[in-house]
Amino acid sequence: MDFNVIGKSVIRVDGLAKVTGKAIYPQDIYMDNMLFGKTLRSSVPHAYFTLDTSKAEKIEGVVKIFTAKDVPGHNSHGVLFKDHEVLCEKKVRRIGDPIAFVVAVSEKIAAEAIEAIEVKYEEIPAVFDPVEAMKDEIKVHDGKSNIIYHYKLRKGNIEEGFAQSDVIVENVYNTSMVEHAFLQPEAGVSYVEDDGTIVVCAATQYPHFDQLEIAEAMGVPAEKVKVINPAVGGAFGGREDITLQIHLAMAAVYTGRPVKAVYSREESFYAHSKRHPEIIKIKTGANKEGKLLALEAEIIADTGAYASWAINVTRKSGIHVTGPYVIPNVKVDAYAVYTNNPFCGAMRGFGATQVPIATEQQMDILAEKLNISPVEIRLKNAFTKGSQTANGQTLTDSVPLVDCITKAAKAIGMF
Amino acid sequence: MELKKVIKAEKLDEVLNLLAENRERAKVIAGGTDFVIQLREKKIAPEVIIDISDVDELNFIRKSGEFIEIGAATKFTTIKNSGIISDAFKGLKDAAGHVGSPQIRNLGTVGGNICNGSPAADTVPALLALGAVAVVKSKNNTREVPLEEFYLDRGKVKLEPDEILYAVKFLNSKPGQGLGFVKLGLRNALAISSISIAVFVETDNDINCKDVRIGSGALAKFPIREKEVEAFLKGKTLHEDVIEEATEFFGKILEQRLAGRPPVEKDYKPYAIKGVFKEALNKALSVVC
Amino acid sequence: MKTISLKVNGKPYTVEVEEDMRLLDLLRDKLGFTGVKEGCAEGECGACSVIMDGNLVTSCLVMAFQADGKEIITIEGLQSEDGTLHPIQQAFLDEGAVQCGFCTPAMVLAAKALLDKNPNPTDEQIKEGISGNLCRCTGYAKIVSAVKKAAEYLNQGGK
Ligand SMILES: Cc1cc2nc3c(=O)[nH]c(=O)nc-3n(C[C@H](O)[C@H](O)[C@H](O)COP(=O)(O)OP(=O)(O)OC[C@H]3O[C@@H](n4cnc5c(N)ncnc54)[C@H](O)[C@@H]3O)c2cc1C
Ligand code: FES
Ligand code: FES
Repeated sequence: MDFNVIGKSVIRVDGLAKVTGKAIYPQDIYMDNMLFGKTLRSSVPHAYFTLDTSKAEKIEGVVKIFTAKDVPGHNSHGVLFKDHEVLCEKKVRRIGDPIAFVVAVSEKIAAEAIEAIEVKYEEIPAVFDPVEAMKDEIKVHDGKSNIIYHYKLRKGNIEEGFAQSDVIVENVYNTSMVEHAFLQPEAGVSYVEDDGTIVVCAATQYPHFDQLEIAEAMGVPAEKVKVINPAVGGAFGGREDITLQIHLAMAAVYTGRPVKAVYSREESFYAHSKRHPEIIKIKTGANKEGKLLALEAEIIADTGAYASWAINVTRKSGIHVTGPYVIPNVKVDAYAVYTNNPFCGAMRGFGATQVPIATEQQMDILAEKLNISPVEIRLKNAFTKGSQTANGQTLTDSVPLVDCITKAAKAIGMF
Repeated sequence: MELKKVIKAEKLDEVLNLLAENRERAKVIAGGTDFVIQLREKKIAPEVIIDISDVDELNFIRKSGEFIEIGAATKFTTIKNSGIISDAFKGLKDAAGHVGSPQIRNLGTVGGNICNGSPAADTVPALLALGAVAVVKSKNNTREVPLEEFYLDRGKVKLEPDEILYAVKFLNSKPGQGLGFVKLGLRNALAISSISIAVFVETDNDINCKDVRIGSGALAKFPIREKEVEAFLKGKTLHEDVIEEATEFFGKILEQRLAGRPPVEKDYKPYAIKGVFKEALNKALSVVC
Repeated sequence: MKTISLKVNGKPYTVEVEEDMRLLDLLRDKLGFTGVKEGCAEGECGACSVIMDGNLVTSCLVMAFQADGKEIITIEGLQSEDGTLHPIQQAFLDEGAVQCGFCTPAMVLAAKALLDKNPNPTDEQIKEGISGNLCRCTGYAKIVSAVKKAAEYLNQGGK
């Protein structure tokens, strides 16, 4: 078959605009009569608070200071659970929670007003260790357990699997929280069209869902919200959750003028999700020949103050913790847990990135104990066409893992 | 203070007059690579900013008698590519070449590096090892201070409000001398030094160490001379075992010095110094001519 | 306010700048050269790089008043009036060195600053030349090949 694209070198459609500097990212949009918005964020991880905006409001050039009470519809958003507040009402759950949005005639004045807002915090105990958080002694969200998800995987008989194993390796691995640091910090512009349609122009990964979230928070039907996604300067999962979209929409509707916001790099760090750090307790058993017989794992994923994609991410970790290997007896428990840390969500690999750190180390250690090569132990256990994963999926299509390992091993002279 | 006035100076006199007039209210900017960030973070709030980056009288590398003099507003890129600085003192060019990135080296100046007073300033250990002297000017005065006495504290140098650093100078290389510089950072570009070491050696034909000066960065509140290690090496023949011993000795000194510091410093640096120091010393020996 | 004169992409401008304005703000907000990007505001990412008097600099670390009398080149100055791409831009396209594109204008300028001084750089020299520019989409391998291809195009007298 002759394809138009597959097998050919094509020039990307957006390439020309990008190499000439003409591509429009949200911060490149300047509109007449435009106002500027800036977010006040919490400086403590867990507290009740009150705001006094009176001084800030008096600064010349400040148009409006939005707080929770100004959110016209539901003061909430979130891709799975609506656990974020558009602007926190009385409690903050992490450093960086948005508590007010200042709109002014210039960025400088908005920044000045942010400093003039008086925030009184009444700090309450916070929890940063997910293992501690699982005890539910300190609750991050009132009336709700910190354990928001438990993924359970059972296959075969784990006790028998270990009983038959000649070598067993057991370790705990910790992975770190990771920031996307996409090169273009969050930015956006919002304005209202003549027929009342709210337009939000922001770099996002999820425009159709943003539309619904903006509509719900604004208390308008979805068809009254238009989301325009200009050039996006990298995302890597970090633009799946709402950041400034609703703040801008509120400001544009209230003022009737275009409103723009651009985050600094520092604010960008506060504003969006991170990769879930995980504590991976893992026990792997194999027989003398290096055949894997059993794997038991407990994974605790710290999702910070908000769930974002925690459930999907944690589930993926639970599934992928076996590695691409056939193991007859498997027991996995994976938990997603709230803490007062920065919130975690999607990032490159979505839970599948963390677990190989544990799984593959275990393979190396097993190989060393069995005195076989790390290549050999992987080839012995690798998924092939027809293999069944621990969660019961039969791999019916191409599974070129053995080929891939063999080629790589040859290329580095290990085979 | 509110920023009221910014001046792009062309002449040294103009700079010195403005400083005499405005004193504490004024601050000079050179490459701006530290300054602009501090200004935006409101760590500094001058009323008057005087730009010295295009003052030709502060921008030179020249031989003057036995000395090499480098004007304070000389950029890292110029130092890195200088034909006046000899191969024996290539360590200084290496230090300049290790700063930040091409962009930072095209803006940043040696004067800014010194006056900013950062413990991790990369050219300073090299200049300390060269025994450099700071030449300071004000409207009515010129004075010289050994660079090692120029620091008061982290971020603080001995300058009066009406003074600027005019130049640094050091004795030109002689046969038997060499300077080696090594920087340890998280990656090759855009990484602040975790440790930087410059070693100046003077040897006779039998690799007897006639003289040695060691400048270190990121191992104290500001870059310093490592005099105990110098004393240990001076007069010894620089065989491998002697170098090894000196290396261990340096590690011990740091264990004591950094005892109260966080683990990344107290556990890591005394260990890492060994490799860094040995490499710097060997580099110095390899360029001795 | 202070009045300064500078050239951008060959064209002279005389503009009023605020005392605390950066060259980056002047170029983007006042003069409309939005191909200059702000990624960090502290010299770390290189997205704001422009060529000033022949040298690559981060415009977030230059005060606007310091640029008085300077000649600046931004990405907008590379394409010919008739729309022909500069050979470096063409090479970036041909080699697939563009992903999200936010680093691209400054990467192209970093390549220009390098190739203007060194028409036949080694891989190592190319890597050093772009070492002050982060590409978080991590297309470095393709960017290095693009700079090599650009050197070829330029040495053949443009593409
Ligand atoms: C991204 C990045 C990476 C960096 N990497 C490195 C690195 O690897 N190694 C390193 O050493 N540094 C590094 N730096 C720090 C900085 O570039 C250097 O310290 C540089 O030498 C500062 O010089 P400048 O000319 O830019 O000084 P400026 O920022 O203009 O000034 C710095 C200070 O010195 C004062 N000053 C400047 N010149 C004089 C003078 N002649 N007399 C009196 N006072 C003066 C100023 O008032 C100011 O207080 C980095 C900075 C950035 C932004
Ligand atoms: S914005 Fe200037 S280097 Fe990042
Ligand atoms: S292409 Fe996205 S940062 Fe380089």
